Amino acid sequence: MKRNFLSLSVAGAVLALSSVTVLSAGSIASASTLTAVKFVYDFPGPDMEIIPVVVAQKEGFFKANGLNVSVEFPPSTSLTTQLLTTGSGDIGFITTSDMAVAVEAKAPVISVANYSMTNNWGLFAKPGSTLTLASLKGKKIFSWGDTWTNAMIPFVLKKAHLKASDITIVTGANDTPLLMNGTINFTTSTTNYAIPGITEATKSAPVGIVGAAAGVPNVPVWVYAVTHNYANQHGKNVRAFLKAIKAATIWASSHQTKAVADFMAAYPKSGYSKFYSTKGWALTVPLLTNSAGKYFVQTNKQWTTLATALKSVKLIKSVPAPSTYYTNKFLP
Amino acid sequence: MTKKKLLLNIFGPILSVVVLIGIWQAIVVWGNVAPYIAPKPWDAINAVTSNWSTLAPLTWWTIKETVYGYLVGALLGAFLGVVLNKIPLMQRVLYPLLILTQAIPIIALAPPLVMILGFGVMPKVVIVAWIVFFPVTVSVLDGLNHVDKDLMTLAKVFGANSLRRFVVLEMPAAVTQLFSGLKIGATYAVTGAIIGELAASSGSSLALYQRSASGSLDAAGVYGTTLIMTAIGIVWFLLVVGAEYIATPWQRRSTARQWRRGAKPVVTNN
Repeated sequence: MKRNFLSLSVAGAVLALSSVTVLSAGSIASASTLTAVKFVYDFPGPDMEIIPVVVAQKEGFFKANGLNVSVEFPPSTSLTTQLLTTGSGDIGFITTSDMAVAVEAKAPVISVANYSMTNNWGLFAKPGSTLTLASLKGKKIFSWGDTWTNAMIPFVLKKAHLKASDITIVTGANDTPLLMNGTINFTTSTTNYAIPGITEATKSAPVGIVGAAAGVPNVPVWVYAVTHNYANQHGKNVRAFLKAIKAATIWASSHQTKAVADFMAAYPKSGYSKFYSTKGWALTVPLLTNSAGKYFVQTNKQWTTLATALKSVKLIKSVPAPSTYYTNKFLP
Repeated sequence: MTKKKLLLNIFGPILSVVVLIGIWQAIVVWGNVAPYIAPKPWDAINAVTSNWSTLAPLTWWTIKETVYGYLVGALLGAFLGVVLNKIPLMQRVLYPLLILTQAIPIIALAPPLVMILGFGVMPKVVIVAWIVFFPVTVSVLDGLNHVDKDLMTLAKVFGANSLRRFVVLEMPAAVTQLFSGLKIGATYAVTGAIIGELAASSGSSLALYQRSASGSLDAAGVYGTTLIMTAIGIVWFLLVVGAEYIATPWQRRSTARQWRRGAKPVVTNN
């Protein structure tokens, strides 16, 4: 009996060990069949705009499309295109102005899809403040010092009939505390970042002038981009990535609470509260589709408008053909 | 100093810089590095010279932040070093606090400073002083703690009061150490100024110019501003070395003795 028990135990152990080995081999095999893709974000840390990528990771959209996507963060803003060209990343998330500047610098990158469809950038102030274009003169305005803000401020000044010397641009690392204690009068940002941040700090929605009201061109702010080399050699990956991202974006738009929970779980030390991320993502969702309800689709008009606008404020020297900037051929 | 040694002192550093530039050029050319990733050395220098009218006032601003902050930090550091040496209770109480100040990341310190002191030169001066004072304090303290005790006793026996003992014995003993701290501080001072500029600046600054160049994929501009920042640090370091040379003649005593040894012995006729 004892021997039988021993035999059974040994047999059981062998069986269990074999099962573990087979299961492990299976999971290794499935992991090895996934194609590794490195996604580079546009900011040194994660925030709610990365939700489609996080959801695609967490809810299995990448896996379903044969991808194993890892996320990298650049050491500072506006470095994503350089990381793509050096091979440190495969697919990047950048602003359209970064894209225009990259093309001007002859960096071999191309936009493969819009992230957002409209320009939600503008100026914001504490709740109860007076913020009009006429009230800008002599004020301290916060800038993040990034290419997009550098590109947009001249349009605001033009609409307000002001010169650069009529305002004081203040550049720094965090605008909200400075706005709260009155060190600056106004800040610059997009609705999906400014509104949650200021609302969280003041418990009221900020005052803002956004988009056309601020005089800025109505063009998408963010795009997904790759190098020409990656697009040519790994077009299949780009297509699979966008297919997964589209599915994840649709899912995250209709399951916003769960999508934010996925983000909070993936990046518990992001520094953003649940309130901020929830509000920010809710404000991001309407920006992701065009007037026809389509995701990702880029147009000649958006790129020509942007390039012409950037040339008028001397950020770029020439306006190349729109096809230099983008392709829709990888769209799902 | 022999002619050979003098030539080595002058041309040694120049040669090392030339070799460094050569390696940089070789990496960019042979590595086929794109100009928006890393420029050739000459392109970086050209980015500075061709934009000098823009960069000159920014450079001057950074120099002012560096120098003001350095002087405040050095004076404060030396003063603290003496105070901590003279009042042992203060040393026990304050020394851990001094270490604590250096454990605080400067990046975290910058935003509150801006809120309190505004966007001008002051927060940058405080950041530079914050970086500089600690090595100076530690050096002075170390120097004062290692004064020959027998000499101090002897001076006391000969009736020298504490002020005289400090001026004649302790200060010269601490000066050599002080300059070690000042040289360390000199190399870090410009970094502090740049961190301050990045944390918050009104108008433009060297750091913001660099950030803007980076955003425009203007690698030559990025490297060019880095060269300016480096030059500020090096020139400041050399000025401190020069000050050390003047302030500590006894450090060159061995050379003087060598010269004396070579001299003809004085013959006395008894």
